[in-house]
Amino acid sequence: MSLLKPFKLIGIAHRSGVVTVRYPFQPPLVTPEFRGRIRIDASKCIGCGACVNACPSNALTLVDDGERRVLNYFIGRCIYCGRCADVCPVGAITISREFELATDNIGDLNSRVIHYKATCSCCGEETTATERMISYVVSRVPVTETYVHMGSRCRKRRFIEGLMMGRGMVYGESER
Amino acid sequence: MVDFEPSKQDVEEVRAQLTEKLGHIARSIEYVPGAGILVEVPVKRIREAVKIIHNDLDAYLRTVAGVDERPVKGVFSAYYVFGLDSKHVNIIVVAYMDSDKPSIPSVVDIAPSADWYELEMYDLLGIRVEGRRLYRFILPEDWPEGLYPLRKDVAYNIRPEPSLRGREAISGPRVPVGPYHPALHEPEYFELYVEGERVVDVRYNGFHVHRGIEKLGESRFTYQQVPFLAERICGICGFVHSVCYTQAVENAARIDVPERALYIRSLVLEVERLHSHLLWIGVACHLLGYDAGFMHAWRIREKTMVLAELLTGSRKTYGINLVGGVRKDINRDKIGKVLDTVKWVEDEFKKLVEVITSVPQVVKRATGTGILPKHDARAYSVVGPVARASGLNRDVRRDYPYAAYKDVSFKVPVYSEGDNLARLLVRVDEVFESIEIIRQLLDQLPQGPIMAEELEIPEGRIGVSSVEAPRGEDIHFIITGKGRPYRWRVRAPTYQNIPALKVMLKDAPLADAPLTIASIDPCFSCTDRVVVVDARTRKRRIISLRKLSKINCIGCLI
Repeated sequence: MSLLKPFKLIGIAHRSGVVTVRYPFQPPLVTPEFRGRIRIDASKCIGCGACVNACPSNALTLVDDGERRVLNYFIGRCIYCGRCADVCPVGAITISREFELATDNIGDLNSRVIHYKATCSCCGEETTATERMISYVVSRVPVTETYVHMGSRCRKRRFIEGLMMGRGMVYGESER
Repeated sequence: MVDFEPSKQDVEEVRAQLTEKLGHIARSIEYVPGAGILVEVPVKRIREAVKIIHNDLDAYLRTVAGVDERPVKGVFSAYYVFGLDSKHVNIIVVAYMDSDKPSIPSVVDIAPSADWYELEMYDLLGIRVEGRRLYRFILPEDWPEGLYPLRKDVAYNIRPEPSLRGREAISGPRVPVGPYHPALHEPEYFELYVEGERVVDVRYNGFHVHRGIEKLGESRFTYQQVPFLAERICGICGFVHSVCYTQAVENAARIDVPERALYIRSLVLEVERLHSHLLWIGVACHLLGYDAGFMHAWRIREKTMVLAELLTGSRKTYGINLVGGVRKDINRDKIGKVLDTVKWVEDEFKKLVEVITSVPQVVKRATGTGILPKHDARAYSVVGPVARASGLNRDVRRDYPYAAYKDVSFKVPVYSEGDNLARLLVRVDEVFESIEIIRQLLDQLPQGPIMAEELEIPEGRIGVSSVEAPRGEDIHFIITGKGRPYRWRVRAPTYQNIPALKVMLKDAPLADAPLTIASIDPCFSCTDRVVVVDARTRKRRIISLRKLSKINCIGCLI
């Protein structure tokens, strides 16, 4: 009865019924594991830039703007891999399940976290670290506190000074 | 556990054989773990070496990588990677060329599959291939002469000024559109030359969306970012590329990947194969005008897409691969869901296949059309279901086992007819084999970490890795560099299969062309177009592949 075999499809179709869904008039069907856009918790972010280094598509960028350092997340470039959430040392980035991201305003696609750079306790110049980064380091490793509030230049100078004093020399002596 | 190693005995045997046959030409023959047996020959004698390996040893050409090694070794080099299936060993022939005027003799008459590789070397690296016709192949027509993008002294982000070749400059703003729809992926363009109903010749014109991914991976990305880029090489079998890349780096750097990570990779690869084959079977039905079959194949496929999302977090471009392991673990709950889904898919697909293989319009049109004889398949080094449908018993999963495939048993379906029906049946059989593999993997899934602890990637190492994609063998060749690959050569399966279309389409009726082109499973898009040129009147018509599938008579076209 091979001639009639193709008609078996009618039975298959009848049993499977309607399989299309009424989206968008029903909640979207995504599994709990779905990776959507990321959310950055501005109160936790320390502006270290680990996520920026990991981001394959440059959706996360870190821009220095005078005394500020801005972490920008641009959804237009995001590939939703969630690598940023993996590498964030403070757990500020969470992966949400949001995926309906179309908008008519490009501003909606950007979100920013603004950080302020710390100033050097010695010379008063801006350092390369943000204030949050310093308090994070201090909270983890208390012994570094003497140097941590200084910029890299002052830190180097103080270190050499300390070394020389330990050897009974006066700073700058070797230059003469 | 490092990726697959061939046995010492096999390596020694092949090495002895090579020393015997190539001893008078080769400068050195050494075994490089993670890559294969590296044979260095003087550039003038490359033809002899290729002839011996390709014809006498019966190895097939897997890929050719031209490399600009001037910053490191002061030379250009060409690596010819051959596969010796029976011994599970790669033979890599390398020839170093002069840094000023690099040139190498052509081997295309010995190994026809070298055709595209040689053109690519000429186009992207400026290596002159002597003894054959060279023409612009990948780069666009208005790309400046003498600018070779894969050379190390060319920046990855240069944008040459567009030139107007022989055209008059027009003032005012210019909006370039087409001829290929810019929003859709992978436009292929075939020119079929016909006499009446019969196809007499075929010309392929591709690479319209060459994105320079290799260059990008070599210059902007880091080792751990490239897997995400590699995944975007293909929209259907992306995970294959990311696995292939990570394995190549792991092979080169001798990184121990935890067993559990290897199992998860294999599992996701098989889920991907399920969805890809179901997609293809649906599309084949659609092209034959059997849309009911198309709808039902895709109904079944949808479940595998949801399954992939559950396992990885995304329906496609899974993004769970890194050098050294995977990012997402699976638990008991997920294992249960996977088993339920594959059981459902197996049952439903069995019923559907019974129907599809009995529908006359499918069976009659697929039988005896688009035939690729075995010797042609061998000459063009075709891969995957195309090779298996032409009687070549070749499957990377079995011949060069990677990930967890050494621990599972499965059949490799081989058909000898070489027609479109054989290619369809190979894929049908593979769906059931994949389901069996998934069950075995989950049954044996080992405990442990999913990411290697130590990741140290030394510079200047060579790594070769291959993965059986749904479309055939995918192979990545890597030379490690500082923080990123120094050279990353990708060869996707369709690259090997398209040249063989010439054989399949020749002397066949035009009406069979759409199915035959589709039968190698190139990545589809609605921009697939066919130009029909009447060899007698020289009239041209451009029509869509879909429309072509609906017409039976050339008369209504011209």
